[in-house]
This record gives sequence, C-alpha cells and structure tokens, in this order.
Amino acid sequence: MDTAPGVSATHALSDPPGVGARLAALLQRRSVLPTLLLVPVLLFFIVWNTVPTLWLLGLSFYRFSLTSGRPPIFTGFGNFESILQDSEVWLALSRTFLFVILAVGIETVLGLLLGLLFWNSQRLPGRRVALTMLFTPMVLTPVAAGTFWRLIYDPTFGVLSAMLRGLGLPTVNFLGDARTAFGSVLAVDVWMWTPFMVLMTLAALASVPKAELEAAEIDRLSFLQRLRLVILHHGKFILMLGILLRTIDAFKTMDLIYDMTFGGPGSTTQLVAIMLYRRAFEVFSMGWSSALAVILLLISIAFTATFIFVLHARERRKQDMPA
Amino acid sequence: MTLRTHLYHALLWLVALLFFAPVAWIVLSSFKTATQILSVPPVLLFRPTLANYERVLSNPHILWGFLNSLLLSCSAVVIAVAVSFLAAFSFSRFKPRGTAFLMFLLLSIRMLPGSAAILPIYLMYVGLGWKDSYAGVILFYAMFSIPFSVWILKGFIDGVSVRFDETGLVNGAGWFRVIARLIFPQVMPGVIAALIFNFIFVWNEFLFNYIIGGPRTANIPVALATGLYSGGGVDWTFVSVVTTLYIIPPILVVFLFQRFLLVGMTFGTVRGEV
Repeated sequence: MDTAPGVSATHALSDPPGVGARLAALLQRRSVLPTLLLVPVLLFFIVWNTVPTLWLLGLSFYRFSLTSGRPPIFTGFGNFESILQDSEVWLALSRTFLFVILAVGIETVLGLLLGLLFWNSQRLPGRRVALTMLFTPMVLTPVAAGTFWRLIYDPTFGVLSAMLRGLGLPTVNFLGDARTAFGSVLAVDVWMWTPFMVLMTLAALASVPKAELEAAEIDRLSFLQRLRLVILHHGKFILMLGILLRTIDAFKTMDLIYDMTFGGPGSTTQLVAIMLYRRAFEVFSMGWSSALAVILLLISIAFTATFIFVLHARERRKQDMPA
Repeated sequence: MTLRTHLYHALLWLVALLFFAPVAWIVLSSFKTATQILSVPPVLLFRPTLANYERVLSNPHILWGFLNSLLLSCSAVVIAVAVSFLAAFSFSRFKPRGTAFLMFLLLSIRMLPGSAAILPIYLMYVGLGWKDSYAGVILFYAMFSIPFSVWILKGFIDGVSVRFDETGLVNGAGWFRVIARLIFPQVMPGVIAALIFNFIFVWNEFLFNYIIGGPRTANIPVALATGLYSGGGVDWTFVSVVTTLYIIPPILVVFLFQRFLLVGMTFGTVRGEV
C-alpha cells in the first residue's frame, strides 16, 4: 500500500512539494493525524537527541575542561587534530576493532556450532528450563557479571585457579597480567554473548524450508553440502543481522570490561568507549571528549547504514521470490 | 528413546549448564559466609546461611536501589512504548516523508557507545540542573527505549492488514477507535516484546544512571558498583546476594516470554520461535 487509506489517489498525485504547501495540503484533507501521532516521539528526539548532539558538535570545536572553571576557548579543528595525532587513541581504536573481530568471530563460530547442536532439541526434557539457563548470561547485569568474574579469575581465591592447581598447572593472574588480561575479558564477552548467536542460528535454521532439507536428504548431500547449499542459502540474512548486531554491541562494550580491569593493566584492555569515559568523566576534558564522541558517532552511523542495507537486501530478495 | 537420543539430550543439558555455571556460582556464593567464599580451595558443600540476605536486605541503600530500579525501568518503558506505538502507527500507515530517514536516525542512537551518548546529555543536565531528578532520568531512559520500540512495533503494525483500518473507518469508527480497538490488540506480542526488552535494558543499565543520576535516583547496578568495597576489599557476600536477587526478574522474563526473545533481541527485524 503506497497511499494512506482515506486519501484519494488524485490528491496524493497533486501533493505539492515544499513545507508550507504540504502543511496546507495536510490541513486541506483535514488530516493532521500522521504528524500528530509523531509529535511525542519527535519531542523526545529533539530534546534528548538533536539538541544534545548539536551541543556536542559545537563543543568539539572548543577547548573546555569542566574542572578548570575557565570558559571554553574556540580552537577550530584543534581537538580533532590532537585526537588524530594521539597514538593512544589509535591504539584504543585498533584494540577495539581487534576485540570486536575476535569476539564476534568466536561467538559466531561457537554460536553456529551450538545452534546446529540444538537444532533437533524439540523433544529435550525440560527444554524451556535448559534454554533459559543457556540464555541467562545475556540478561545478567554487566556490572554484576564483570565484578563477579574478578573473583572467578582471582589467582588466589578463584575457582579457575583452583582448577588449574588441581590439574597440577601453575596458576595464572588472568586479569592482572598484561599478557592474559585481553584474552580473559574476551572470554567473558564470549561467555555472555555466544547464547545470542545460538539464538540467531536457531532462527536461521527455522527459516529453512523443510521440503528442501528433505530433498537434500534424498539427494544424499553431505552435511557440509547441506550446510552450504541449503541452510546458509536460506539462513544467511538472519545470520548476517545477528553478526551485525553483535558487531555494533561489541563496539560499545564498556561496563563489563571496566568492572573487571578498569581498562588495565596498563591500558591493555582499554577499549575506545572506556577511554572516552575516562577522559570525559574522570579527567573532565569535555572539548576533547566531545570530538572523540563525534568520531564514534560517525562510526556508529556507518554501522547503522550497513545494518539497514542488509535489512533492505533481505526485503528485496523476499519480494523477488515470493513465499 | 534410543541411547543415542539420551546421550544427545545429556549433551544439550551439559551445554546449558556450562553457560549457567558462573551464575550458579554467584547464587551459591550468596549462601556462604565471607570466609567460605574466599576459602582455598573453593567449597562446594557447606551449610547454607541466610545471614547475608538479612544483612543486605536491612541496608536501606539497597532497598532504595531496588525500588528505584523498579520505578525507573517500569515508568520509562511504559512511556516509551506508548509514544512509540503512536509513531510506529503513523510510520506504518501514512508513511510520512522522511520515514526511512527518521527510522535510521532513531536506530543510530542505539548504535552509539554509551559514554559518547551520555556525554552531551550530561552537559545539558548539569547546565539545566536536571541531574539526579526522577523526571530527568526516566525521560532519558524513555528516549533511549523509543528506537527499539518503534522498530519492533512498526514491524508488527506492518503485518496487520490495512483492511482492518478501512473496515473500521467505513463503519463509522474514528481513527482513535481504530487504533485502540482494532490495531492495538493485534500487535500485543510486539507490545510485550518491546516492554520486556526495554525493561531488561533499563533494569541492567549502569552508565547512564551513574552519570546523570545521583544518590536519590541510583538503581541497583550503581548501588552495587559504589557499595562494592568495605574494609579494604570487595564485599563478596554483598555482591552475590544483590546479584542473585537482581537477576530473578530477567530470568523469569526469559523463561516466561521465551517466544519473544528473538524478536526482542533483534529490534523486531527477525521473527519466529526457537
């Protein structure tokens, strides 16, 4: 449906461009309803998003520290220049991308494998309880998860260390050692978010038509052939969406890691979101932080655009091949 | 059932238990004494104690935190879903110019790292004196829950045939009645999904509350992070008791609303059951 119900086709065709003319046309057809319904959301959006974002944009051109008590000084692109020349920023950014690639990669492979494992679980006794347990890490408060993993990872009192000792292996200072800290926080992220990829894999599997699977069985395709030709062919869009959502979320990771290591030891686990947090709310250099936030905003917009592109690709394909 | 099936089912349960194990360890720890939590090697069998619960639940900060968590998440989510439903209806039925762009902008708010999203809000709240006010915190959470809700609800309203609107209008019902009586009941699953997933988000949210809230509006994640240390170390009994109590609502949601999990976690872009 392209025209709204109650609007005659001729009217829709003669709808003139321009805000004033459009408003007149709206009033003419005595239907301000579409706009009226949007007003509350638009209000929220303007007060809590547009205005603050413009504020942020403006501030990114100033040198402004909340603690100094001095008024902001205009520096043009000074903040952006200093960010682009700051090796710590580049390090944090590359660390973040490494974290995202590893976390999403491992979660996708594990999620795919476990999803396939759970594919035929319809008759599992207590399936609902089992799935609830599997999905619990996703809904655990990140602050609580991060804090408690510190105890699990503790070289003296932790369960993991006790297990290592039990196996006769040397204990590891998981979070305190610069060599193991990154891998340790990565493992916690994998624990928390692999269930999400299991969920997405199950959804992708559910979207595969049964008839084609039966046909593949009759044709005696090997498991890998079935995976590639039938399952991935139908499920790839849902998997793509899952991977994208995870990518965006991993890029944002902050609470979980901050509560485990505060970005340390050194800065080995300092992702860019943590770096921004420290500069903004521990050092209070607001101009510099605003500029970094603007850069992150641009990256997020790129992610969002990719997400929507994939979504539309799926819809286009659906339209091409009905049913 | 064959042996193979039994083994298969045992394996599935093993996987589920493996993922649940760290949470189970937290729950178990909440019934231990402080010395038992830090004993080497860790103890599995012990006489459970409820003393931790008595101590934590008599702490007014924690009770206040629970009330705040409940108040903030429920009110923000209800406001967000109500206004989002109206907007989603408009987007779905009238497709006003700029719909795609607005949907895009809405989503991109959610894609921004939290520290970048809260920075301008913090400056605005400090400037306007809205910090640590219930209205300020609730309305911000509502704004943050809107994108998700609009996306979910638009998907569901798209799925309801326009015939319903037309039939209603032809039979003399106004738009209000069409929306409230014809459309709303049919998109209940979407409304529930939007409600519960925003609820879980706000319930678990730490950073925003920490930055724009304060002593009055602190929720449990903030109370947990700030009440962590006592007597030179982390108070593990406190952490485990608060976490155990706090995770009950999200777990119940996952258990009771399992069929909404998928639509909820994908902004409504993927539907189906698992």
